[in-house]
Amino acid sequence: MSWYRRLWDHRLGRVGVLMLGFSLLVALAAPLLAPTDPYASVRVSIDDIYAPPDGARLLGTDDAGKDVLSSLIYGARVSLLVGFSAAAIALLIGGTVGLVAGYRGGRLGNGLMRITDFFLVVPDLALQIVIVAIIGQSLRNIILVIGALGWTTTARLVRSQTLTIRERKFVERARAVGAGDLTILMRHVLPQVLPLMLANTVLVISLAILSESTLAFIGLGDPTKISWGQMLNFAFSRGAVSAGAWWALIPPGLAIVWVVLGTTLVGNALEDMFNPRVGRHHLEPERHLRTRTDSPRPSAPDIALAIRHLVVTFEGDHGPLTAVEDVSFEVAKGESVGLVGESGCGKTTTMLAALRLLPPGGAIPSGEVEFDGLDLATLPEDRLRQARWTRLAMVFQGAMNALNPVRSVGDQIGEAIRTHFPERTKAEAMRRARELLELVGIGADRATEFPHQFSGGMRQRAMIALALACDPEVIVADEPTTALDVMIQAQVMDLLVDIRQQLGMAMVLITHDLAVVAESCDRVVVMYGGRVAEQGTVEEVYSHPAHPYTRLLLEAIPDMEQPGRSLISIPGSPPRLDELPPGCRFAPRCPEAMARCHRETPPMTVLGRRREASCFLLEEPARV
Amino acid sequence: MSRSRLLAKKIGWALVTVMVVLTFNFFLFRVLPGDPAKAGVKDPRLSAEAVEAARVRFGLDKPVLINLDEGPWYDSQYFRYVGSMAAGDLGESYAFKNRTVGELVGKALVNTVWLVLPAQLIAIAAGVALGLVAAWKRGTKLDVGALTFGLVTWSLPTFFLGILLLFFGSRWFGFPTAGRVTIGAEYTSIWDQIGDIVHHLFLPTLTFALVLLGEYLLIMRSSVVEVFSEDYILTAKAKGLSPGAIVRRHGFRNAMLPIVTLIALNLGFTVSGAIQVETVYSWPGLGKLTVDAVSTRDFPVLQGAFLLLAISVIGANLIAELVYLRLDPRVTEV
Repeated sequence: MSWYRRLWDHRLGRVGVLMLGFSLLVALAAPLLAPTDPYASVRVSIDDIYAPPDGARLLGTDDAGKDVLSSLIYGARVSLLVGFSAAAIALLIGGTVGLVAGYRGGRLGNGLMRITDFFLVVPDLALQIVIVAIIGQSLRNIILVIGALGWTTTARLVRSQTLTIRERKFVERARAVGAGDLTILMRHVLPQVLPLMLANTVLVISLAILSESTLAFIGLGDPTKISWGQMLNFAFSRGAVSAGAWWALIPPGLAIVWVVLGTTLVGNALEDMFNPRVGRHHLEPERHLRTRTDSPRPSAPDIALAIRHLVVTFEGDHGPLTAVEDVSFEVAKGESVGLVGESGCGKTTTMLAALRLLPPGGAIPSGEVEFDGLDLATLPEDRLRQARWTRLAMVFQGAMNALNPVRSVGDQIGEAIRTHFPERTKAEAMRRARELLELVGIGADRATEFPHQFSGGMRQRAMIALALACDPEVIVADEPTTALDVMIQAQVMDLLVDIRQQLGMAMVLITHDLAVVAESCDRVVVMYGGRVAEQGTVEEVYSHPAHPYTRLLLEAIPDMEQPGRSLISIPGSPPRLDELPPGCRFAPRCPEAMARCHRETPPMTVLGRRREASCFLLEEPARV
Repeated sequence: MSRSRLLAKKIGWALVTVMVVLTFNFFLFRVLPGDPAKAGVKDPRLSAEAVEAARVRFGLDKPVLINLDEGPWYDSQYFRYVGSMAAGDLGESYAFKNRTVGELVGKALVNTVWLVLPAQLIAIAAGVALGLVAAWKRGTKLDVGALTFGLVTWSLPTFFLGILLLFFGSRWFGFPTAGRVTIGAEYTSIWDQIGDIVHHLFLPTLTFALVLLGEYLLIMRSSVVEVFSEDYILTAKAKGLSPGAIVRRHGFRNAMLPIVTLIALNLGFTVSGAIQVETVYSWPGLGKLTVDAVSTRDFPVLQGAFLLLAISVIGANLIAELVYLRLDPRVTEV
C-alpha cells in the first residue's frame, strides 16, 4: 500500500492532512476569501483602530484599523511559503550532507558530522536573530537563514540510514559491476532513504513555520509582508493587551497552532508508519486475569509442576490468536524435561505462561499451572510474586539484554535474594552472589563488574547463577546456548546439567536440538503448532517415536555412527498463528497425512504412564 | 579508550566549539554594514590623520587574520579580538552610553538565570514524573491526556502561550504585565521586595515551565516505554520484584540516560524559549537584551549576548555529557 494511502487510513494522520489541506486552500484562494485586501492602503478613522468584531468585520480590526480576518487569510500565504521553501533548502542541505557523510565516511564524513554537531549546540533562534539582523530582514533572507540553519536533524538521520543501506547486497553488487558513486547514490541509495525522510520532512516544515513566526514576532519579519507572527508583533507591541483587543491577538496565534498541529499530526503518523516504535511493555497490567476460588487438583506427590490443558492467546488484529492449545505435561521433582520442536511451536510461550510472564497482549483464557497446590495461572499478582524465582526460575534466551547494563552482576543476583529473603543483609546477599558466581565458574571477584564486561558465555553463566539465587524447585532454561559459539555451548550445557544434578532441582529445557535433549534430559515433550505432539521418556520417544513429526525430527539429527546417512530436513515450516490449519496442525507437512487429518483434530492417545501422542495413525492398530 | 581520556576529549571538543563560535562571531561582525568603527573611518568629513587615528584605535590597521609583516604573528585583528574576549572585554555598548557590554550582559545573564532555572527545575521534575506515569499506565486516559498535552504545547509557539497567559493573567488575576519589579515601588522590608519579584516572575516562569514540560514529558514517556520493553525488565519481573521496585531500581535510571542527553540537546530550545518569554514579559534578561540590541543596532551588545548564550549552552551541554558518563558504565567511546 502506498504511503499516502496508509497516511489517509491513519486516524490522526488524516486529521492532520485535512488541517493542512484547509490551510493550503485558504492560502491559495486568499484573494477570493478575504473581505478586503490587507495590502491596500486605506484611510482609517480613530474608531477603526481595535474595533471589536461585528457583522461586517468578523474578527474586528487591528492597530492600523485593518480587518483582522483578511490579514489572517493572507498571512497563511507567508507562513506556508516560508515553511515549505525553508524546509526545501534544509532538506537539500541536510540530505546532501547526510548522504555524503554516510556514503563516503572516512575523514570527510567525520568532518561533516563535526560541523553538524556544532550546529546542534549553537542556540538556533539566537543565531537566526544575529544573522537576519545583519543581512537584512527580507522574506528571501528569512527563508535562506531558516533553511540554512535547519538541516542538522535531517543530516543525522540520512547519514545513519545511508550507513546501513551502503552495506546492503544490491549496493555492493552495483559497485562490483563498476557503477559510479553518483549513479549508486541516485539510483540505489536515495530511493531507499527518501521514504524514511518523510516524517523528518514534515518536522522540518513545522519547525520552519514556528521559526518564521517567532522571528516575525520579535520584530525580525519582513516589514512589507503580512504574516501571523507579524500580526502578533504589531498587536502586542501596540497596546492590544491593555486595549483588551483579544481578537487581534488570539486568531493569528491559533492560526499558527493550527498549521503546526496539523503538520505534527502528519509527522507523527508518518513516524508510526515507517518506524513503528515499541508501544507496549512488560509492566502493563494483566488485562485478562481469571480469578478462581477453588484449589487445583493436587498432583501425585512426586510431581513438582503440572501444566494442565493450558491455552494461551494473543491479541490479533481480528480477535484473539491461539498460540498454545490444550497443552498438558508434568515435571517430576528432580527430573529434567526437554521441551522440543521448531521455532514458533509455542514452547517458550508455554513456559512464559507458566510463570505469567507473557508479553503484553498475551492471556491464559483456560487451563491451570499447578505448583504445590497453587494454580499459578490464576494466582493473585502479589502471591504470584512470592512464587516467582523461589519456586520457578528462568534462564532466558540470549542473555545479551537479560541483565541490566547499568548495574553490576553481583548486585543483580543479590537483589533477587533480598527480594525474597528481606531479613538478609546486603552483605550476606552479596556474599551469596559471589558464591554462586564461583559455582558457575566465573569467579567471585567479578561480582562487581557490569554485564558488558562479560563475554557471551559468561553472561549466560551469570544468568544461571542468577536463576539459582533463591534455590528454586524448577529451573526453566530457554534455549540457553543459542547465542553462543559451539565450544562454549557445550560448556554451558554441561554446567547446567551438573549443577542441576548437584542441587537436585527439576529442569525444563526448551530447545530445538534433540541431540542435546538425549544427553541431558529424562523426559521429552514434543510440541508442534501450539499443541503437544507426543511425550514420554527420552528412551521411549527416541526408540519408538509415535508421531510422524517426532520421527522426522529424529531423522534430522546428525548421527555419528552412520555418517553416510543423508540428513533429512522437514520441508515447510510451522503454521503462523493467524493461519492455523483445521484438523491436525502437522497435516500439511505430514508425509503420512490422511484425508481426516485435514478435517479433525486427533485426540491425545494414552500409550502408558505419562506417555501419550496425538495422531490418528495410533488408532489403526496395525500401524503401532 | 579510557574514561579519563574520554573526559579530556569532551572538554577539548567543548573548547574547540567555543573557539569556532568566537571565530564565527569575529567574521560575522566584521562584514557588518553598520559597524561605526568602520563607518567612522569612511566618513569623508574626517581628515586623513583622524581616519588613521581611528584605524589605529580600533585596530583596523592590523592584518585581519595573521600578522605576516613585522611584529609577532599574533598581532592581528583576529587574535586581538580573541585576546580581549578571553580577558572578558566585550567592548562598549553603542546604545547605552558609558556602559561596557560585559556589564550589561552580565546583569542580564543573572536575570535570565532567575527565570530559566526555576522553570527548568519545575519542568524537569514534573515532566519526568508525568512521563514515567504516562508510560507505565500506557493506553489509559492519563496517558492519552499526557500525550495530548505534549502535542499541544509542542504546537503552541512559546511567545503565543506567553501572550495568552499575560492577557488573561493580567486581566483576571492582576498579574503585572512587564518588568522585574514594580516601577517606583517602595518596600518596607526585603520580603516585600522578594514578594514583588516573585509576583513578576510568576507568569513568565509558568509560561516557560509549561512549554518545557510538554517537551520533557514526551521524551521521558518514549524513553520509559522503550526501557520497559527491554529484556532485563522481564528478568526483574521474573525475579519476583514488585512493579514499584522494578521502576525504581531498573526502569528509572535507565530511562534517565537518554533524558540527560536530550535535556542537553534541548538547551538551544531553552535559549529560544528564554528569548521569547523575556520579550513578551519585558523581563530584562539576555534574550530581551538580544532583541533590544537588534532594534537599536547595538552590535557590540548583540555580539556579546550571542557569545554568552552560545557559551552557556556549550557549557551546559558539557555538564550533561559528564553526568551521562557517570550514569552509564558502558560509555567508553565518543
